[in-house]
Order: sequence, then structure tokens, then C-alpha cells
Amino acid sequence: MDFQFPVRTASLLYELDKKLMVLLRDGRTLIGYLRSVDQFANLVLHKTIERIHVGNQYGDIPRGIFIIRGENVVLMGEVDKEKEHCPQLQQVSVEDILNAQRKEQEVKQERSRMLAKRLKERGLSFVPDLINDDLF
Amino acid sequence: MLPLSLLRTAQNHPMLVELKNGETYNGHLVNCDHWMNINLREVICTSRDGDKFWRMPECYIRGSMIKYLRIPDEIIDMVKEDQVQRTRQRDSNRGGRGGSNQRGRGGHNMRGGLGNRGGKNPRNPLALKKSK
Repeated sequence: MDFQFPVRTASLLYELDKKLMVLLRDGRTLIGYLRSVDQFANLVLHKTIERIHVGNQYGDIPRGIFIIRGENVVLMGEVDKEKEHCPQLQQVSVEDILNAQRKEQEVKQERSRMLAKRLKERGLSFVPDLINDDLF
Repeated sequence: MLPLSLLRTAQNHPMLVELKNGETYNGHLVNCDHWMNINLREVICTSRDGDKFWRMPECYIRGSMIKYLRIPDEIIDMVKEDQVQRTRQRDSNRGGRGGSNQRGRGGHNMRGGLGNRGGKNPRNPLALKKSK
């Protein structure tokens, strides 16, 4: 392939029509076929699923077509078809994984509330950020 | 087909827009621009946690606030039709030999040489890829 890259697109064009995993700034994982990119790394993902991991379980939610604004992407990479099925991980239903995720979130929030309380007792202020869930 | 052109193709179709703050907006796309600013009508706004809802007849969203948009599956098929139509149109335009205004853009000295339509080495490599 002898492309002339549009400005500031680096090499995303090599990934077109491949199955990609995209990690968003809010921690969500999307897996789909990359159909298009532009100079801002805005992406079009086709036949997308959202994959949720909790512990060694995961669940896939079909989501369709995404137009992702480039600035929300942390990283992306091609999914290796041969290594896709990992025996250590167990796929569960959407409902189960959503429940597991909710529980995990509650635990996390409780922990950050405790931390805030302990820090307050020591005269330090810590406001748990419940609005902004950006992991990155 | 660039992401923003796809968005334009999706005009008048229902879509879901999620903002960076986690709120989602469901509505029909009225218009969009190069900055991804969008106009929606018949909107249902859902709060971050999905527990509060607001209905509004229309709304305008600044592009920089958007995390992603989800559009219906049919749009990809529309793109295919659109592209087929455009190639056909181009082919029929090419029939006659060289009127000077065949290439819409470019001054006299640009004729032939720099135009990127149908050239062997398009300047925009995205034009090579047909989305599926």
C-alpha cells in the first residue's frame, strides 16, 4: 500500500475494515469493524459490540454503528482472530454482566465514600468525583 | 466516506448522541456542520444514570461536547447506494471528450494535472476505500 496520508492521521488507514477494539476515555470497550477515519481520528465503527468485563467474566452488548469523536479515544488495536477466544474468560449473558457491573460500581463508590470519610477525620478534604468517570 | 459525511447522510434519521458528561440525547438529526455541531428534533434526553428523562421539541448540541453518536444500521446501505449513483453519474459525465468545465474546481493551469477525480493516484486515499 502506498498511501499519502492526510495530515495528522498517522497510520490509521492501515486499520480500515479490520476488526478493532477501541477503548474510550470513560473506560468503555467497543469492538467493531473500522469503516472510516478522518484527520481528527473520528471513527466509524460498524457491527459494533460493547464488551463489559467484570473479573474473569465478560458480556457483549450489540450496539450497531458508532461515529466516535476522536478526542474520546484512548487506544485502539486489531483483534487477533486466533487469540480471540480466551479459555480463562467466561462469556455470560448481558443481564448477568450488567448486574455484576452494577455491583462492582457500588463497591467502588462505597470505597471512595469511606476514603473521603477517613480523610476528613484527618482534616483533609477529598470530594469523590461521581460526575466525571473518565479513567484516563 | 468520512465520518462527518456519514453523519450528513444520516440526516432526518433517528440517532442517539452521548455527551462527554454521560447524558444521552435521542432524536432525529436535522442538521450538522463541520464542527459536528448538531441540531436534533423530537428529543428525549436521558440523565447520566438513566433515571431521569426530559422531552424537548428540538435542541442544538455543540460538537465538542459529543462523545459518540449511534446511527441506525440502514445508513450504511444508503451510503452504498449513494456511491453507486455517484460513480454512475461520473461515468456518464466522462463520456464526451474534454470540455473545460468538466472539472468543477481548479483554474486553467490545474486542468488534468492536479484534479483528483478519477486519477490513478487520488490525493485523498480514503476515496480508494469503499465502505461495506
